[in-house]
Amino acid sequence: MIADNPWLDGLVRMGIVAVAVPLAVIILTYVERKVIGRLQMRLGPMRVGPYGTLQAVADTIKLLTKEDLRPQTADRWTFELAPFVVVVPVFLALVTLPFTAEGMVRDLGLGLFYIVAVSGVSIVGFVMAGWGSDNKYALLGGARAAAQLISYEIPLVMAVLAVAMVGQSLNLVELVDAQGRVPFIVWQPLAFVIFLVAGVAELYRQPFDIPVADSEVVGGPLVEYSGIRWSMFQMAEFVNLVVISVLGALIFLGGWNWPLGREVGLGLQLPLIFVKASAFIILFMWVRGSLPRLRIDQMMAFCWQVLLPFAFLQIIINGWVLVYDWPDWVLGALSGAATLAAGYLTYRAAHQMGEPVPPRLRRAGSVL
Amino acid sequence: MLGVLRAIKTTVTAALRKPVTVQYPTAKKELPHRSRGLPVLLWDFEADEPFCTGCQVCARYCPVDCMTVTMKDNPKFAEGKSKRKKIVDRFYIDYARCMRCDICVEVCNFDAIVMNNTWDGVELSRYDRQDLVMDMDQLLRQSKSGELKDPFQEPMGIAHSGWAPKREADEEKPE
Repeated sequence: MIADNPWLDGLVRMGIVAVAVPLAVIILTYVERKVIGRLQMRLGPMRVGPYGTLQAVADTIKLLTKEDLRPQTADRWTFELAPFVVVVPVFLALVTLPFTAEGMVRDLGLGLFYIVAVSGVSIVGFVMAGWGSDNKYALLGGARAAAQLISYEIPLVMAVLAVAMVGQSLNLVELVDAQGRVPFIVWQPLAFVIFLVAGVAELYRQPFDIPVADSEVVGGPLVEYSGIRWSMFQMAEFVNLVVISVLGALIFLGGWNWPLGREVGLGLQLPLIFVKASAFIILFMWVRGSLPRLRIDQMMAFCWQVLLPFAFLQIIINGWVLVYDWPDWVLGALSGAATLAAGYLTYRAAHQMGEPVPPRLRRAGSVL
Repeated sequence: MLGVLRAIKTTVTAALRKPVTVQYPTAKKELPHRSRGLPVLLWDFEADEPFCTGCQVCARYCPVDCMTVTMKDNPKFAEGKSKRKKIVDRFYIDYARCMRCDICVEVCNFDAIVMNNTWDGVELSRYDRQDLVMDMDQLLRQSKSGELKDPFQEPMGIAHSGWAPKREADEEKPE
């Protein structure tokens, strides 16, 4: 408790989160450009401020002062409300996201469920943006966003659910406590991989940036937006990046616990979660700088033919091990074996492309 | 699948290498010796006058007609200080028009004109086109001040012949 009055306490916590997270977003835009630059042997922004550190500030000022355009034929309210529909659910997810053992706005008990449920709403915003813009590319992008985000929501939820089965809770704090000595990534490598891939797809970042692909649908639902409304979409994307990264750090990397399960004080909890979430963020940026965009049929096939069956497999494995009360290492071994199987399947499918194969396999072959 | 890992490896090795970016206005890449900027005139330090005799062969061969040259009698010839009977009176090159074809350099009988191989031969943005019409002072400035370093290099096979201040290496040579 920061203050005695629960309302005041909640307000203060909300204020801290509402200031800290947009600040992190501003820093992340700079970090992302720097990281991608280095991956391409460039320097990234260098002009504004020392080593370009003020670039993000300059970008913010530019976006805020830019003219807010609305096409004449756009559906006014759909168009103007869409950014809010995208940005609000993302911020709602921050309500229960714990950064330390005490460091959340409210411990909702079913935190994991709440985050998953709330973050699904922003899909509606993308469809609204696509529909309201009265632009064929926006509409295509909106449809793509709906297809992709809804598809990948399912393996993401299943992976998270698998972890919740092992942790025996939907409360994020209890899940972190349940990891104790060994983080869940060791017992649930398959769920981790699925979470990672589906997470990138949920963030519609580079290998999965099909809804907003510049070279195909010229920005998709965002095509008609400018200035502050566009920056709200951008903000939603980066806040979502933070949410997914922190969530991954919490449920797979042991959150604010030391890797080998020593409880640490508040002073170390924040740096630990920061480092773990940063690892996710850097990984997402690294993947973004490395991989080309998937085709839309490859993306859908990979979700429905590989990720989803293996997510169910993980749940079945978990159920088995938990019901018969087998030791933890069985869980880890089985899940690891399933991860290798998933990798091998994808590898074989990708290498069968181009060879004459039966139609059933050909469909799997368009996976990667 | 393995391609994904390979791509990720490629980018991380790229990240570990030194960036190739040159911070241009503050740091400049060294131009090659035979970099072809816009043409400038050379200054004869021995006779203390331009090499150019104003013969107009460059102006006649110029495919885009960017040059204007006039000739006059060389006063220093009468005084016996120079071997040149005629000397250039006025010389204008319209840099906005020049297409850097190098023909003027090829046809010049006196090696009096060269393509600028420094950044000044490239960084020529102006607010007014008229400012790109260079008169003789502007064309000779770089050669006079010694900024223009070795415009004729070995690949051209032309020996050092008095177009620059004498260097130590030349003085050591026996006459």
